[in-house]
Amino acid sequence: MAAPKEADSHHMTELRITPTWDELLDADGAPRPAAVALMEHLGLLGSGELQERQNLADLDILAQGITFTVYSDGRGIDRAWPMDIVPRVIEATEWRRIEAGLVQRLKALNHLIDDLYHDQTIIRDGVLPAELLVGSVNFRAECVGVSPKFGVWAHICGSDLVRDSDGTTYVLEDNLRVPSGVSYLLQNRNVSKRAFGDLFHRQSILPVDDYPDRLRRLLVSLAPETTEQSCQPNVVVLTPGVFNSAYFEHSYLARRMGVTLVEGADLYVDAESLVWMRTIDGPQRVHVIYRRVDDLFLDPAAFRGDSTIGVRGLMQAWRAGTVAIANAPGAGVADDKVVYAWVPDAIRYYLGEEPLLPNVPTYRCLYPDELAYVVDHAAELVLKPANESGGYGLTIGNRATPEELDRAIEAVKRDPRNWVAQPILDLSTAPTLCDGRLEPRHLDLRPFILSGADTYVTTGGLTRVALVEGSLVVNSSQGGGSKDTWVVEVD
Amino acid sequence: MLLSRVAENLYWAARYLERAEGTARIAREHTNLIIDMPTSVMSSWEPLLVITGTRAGYDIAHQTINETDVVGYLVADRTNPGSIRSSIDQARENLRTCREVLPGPAWVTVNGLYLYVGAHDAEGVARRSRSRFLDRIVTDHQRLIGVLTTTMSRDAAYTMLRLGRHVERADMATRVLDVWATSLMGERLEERARYEHLQWASLLQALSALQMYQRGTSPVDGHVGPVRFVLDDATFPRSLRYCLDSAAHSAARLPRPERVRAAVADALAVLGRIDVAALDVAGVHAAADRLQLAIGEIHKQITSSYFRVVNTASSAE
Repeated sequence: MAAPKEADSHHMTELRITPTWDELLDADGAPRPAAVALMEHLGLLGSGELQERQNLADLDILAQGITFTVYSDGRGIDRAWPMDIVPRVIEATEWRRIEAGLVQRLKALNHLIDDLYHDQTIIRDGVLPAELLVGSVNFRAECVGVSPKFGVWAHICGSDLVRDSDGTTYVLEDNLRVPSGVSYLLQNRNVSKRAFGDLFHRQSILPVDDYPDRLRRLLVSLAPETTEQSCQPNVVVLTPGVFNSAYFEHSYLARRMGVTLVEGADLYVDAESLVWMRTIDGPQRVHVIYRRVDDLFLDPAAFRGDSTIGVRGLMQAWRAGTVAIANAPGAGVADDKVVYAWVPDAIRYYLGEEPLLPNVPTYRCLYPDELAYVVDHAAELVLKPANESGGYGLTIGNRATPEELDRAIEAVKRDPRNWVAQPILDLSTAPTLCDGRLEPRHLDLRPFILSGADTYVTTGGLTRVALVEGSLVVNSSQGGGSKDTWVVEVD
Repeated sequence: MLLSRVAENLYWAARYLERAEGTARIAREHTNLIIDMPTSVMSSWEPLLVITGTRAGYDIAHQTINETDVVGYLVADRTNPGSIRSSIDQARENLRTCREVLPGPAWVTVNGLYLYVGAHDAEGVARRSRSRFLDRIVTDHQRLIGVLTTTMSRDAAYTMLRLGRHVERADMATRVLDVWATSLMGERLEERARYEHLQWASLLQALSALQMYQRGTSPVDGHVGPVRFVLDDATFPRSLRYCLDSAAHSAARLPRPERVRAAVADALAVLGRIDVAALDVAGVHAAADRLQLAIGEIHKQITSSYFRVVNTASSAE
């Protein structure tokens, strides 16, 4: 890759040339149209100044307590949030296409969840195999027949997008239960505005800051219809507590929305299935709960009896319609990695439209012919179990030892319903500051989609980047970092 | 709307921070005094342990009482729950769970203090850097109070912080008075008497009261003026009376304040019955004890009124 023409930028010339798609540079190493101003600016700054700005950003992050929690020796440790100040850039026209695809996808996903808890027409009509539901660990019998407002179950979704070497953007997965990361998306912008204030002046970088207001409006809109029209509904964020890895985000969102952050013990459900919080003024009614607690820990009476972070009787209250819960319990039935393979079919089935954003091509081991292909080509595929997250249980064909691969194939054959396989993607990269130099690092993108009466998509999303050379692991608990994501208008 | 849990965290965070500041003032002033005084007159670091109520914990880990160990125990020792380090850690941990009710810069200030103390607490022990370190504790806390005063709505969360601050400050004032004053009023050695003025001034200084005392009343002469100022001055914001008045004022802004207000009124009555001119050593001790009990009762009533409420649906709305 060649250096941008104008400036002294020896640090840029050392970028390796790879067939991988780079988000900022084209195959010849020239900046893509949306990245021209940025690359020019980076060239002018030079590596010393860039590193200096990175150091200042790190200090800001530490001072503001922007943290995530990792576990070590059973103890939660608060770590400063790792952010690379070199932004990832997306052209606005491309972003609008992605946005439309996500809106479409979430509409279909919510239809799908609602259908699975009601008439299951998609199964009756032979589009989704009945076995999928039988084997699903995220299908909750307790949710059958419940009708949340607007027919929406997954109010807040974080979908992971990746780009392969041919430039196609795929949906890798949808997180429909308690997706996290949006607070870092917002904080990254603050940090990046300080680091590159001059650039924000010179070009049209779309703002991201309206998310908390949108979220609040959505949550308020979910409040049960009550007779007391005058009363403003009480919205709370329910957190598992300060030891949760995403506690910072729970606190941040409560603060930005101006609502109360509660733990399970702050709430109780009375004999009439009304939900209350314990305040210094005595009990106060709760109408909407944005829960950041997994289904199984929500209510010890309904699910895990040993849960100490839930609220006894909450499921009953939700079923009785006295309180709204976002995301609705049971929404996870549609983010099973196997059900994922049917999402394009669900879009066609419910909306009568072709998917605007493709799934990663996925082999469904449930079908004998696809299973046979997977067994024969396992070395070129990623084998994924249905219900693991954070990359656990994956087997990457070209990185596994022959024994590991054999074991994985046996597991697939034993329980084909619970496995899918996908080609090994070459995730795209962007220049990232590593030890004072810009080097390509792999990344993905997690936009957040809000669904209620209408649908809203964050501008861009949280870009997660694998800081280790060649690594594809973008998770912050495993050495991943993040970037600000600029959606840029190009005239 | 303020959760009971959050109210308790705020109240305690304010107490921890006030405690850290109070400990910093006392350690700073005691160091100054010892530097000033001939060793034959005064050299012990023990009063610091007694004022902060940490003597028992100290004795478990230490054989002798010496400057480095005592100051280290009060400033940097994380096994001492009352040390500056522990207090700041606790306050920061408490406020981490209350960020949604605080102005953003308030958290940044506390977090900054936490990071500073974590990286520099050894400087608080070494004599050459001690004052600078202790000054920083005091000024950062005052900066926090400035942020809260100028940018936080006078809501229940604010009131809880203010209440915690004044209860702790009142408690600290009585402890300082008890130890500092009684040690001065004790054996009146000939040599020691020569420095009496200096020592009474240091008592005022330990509560940052010297300048206001001098402006408002007379030069320091004997115990009556300083003790009365520390206990009873109605206008100085660190006097016991002022702290109690403030606590009463705060309580009045909270729901169902009757029991807390009654406890504050009792404490003010105890204060009113003290005849400072007639006090001797035993009298100061006894008065300080009575005041401590009364302040403890205020704390108890705050706890039972707001933090440990038994909520039932029947008491709703």
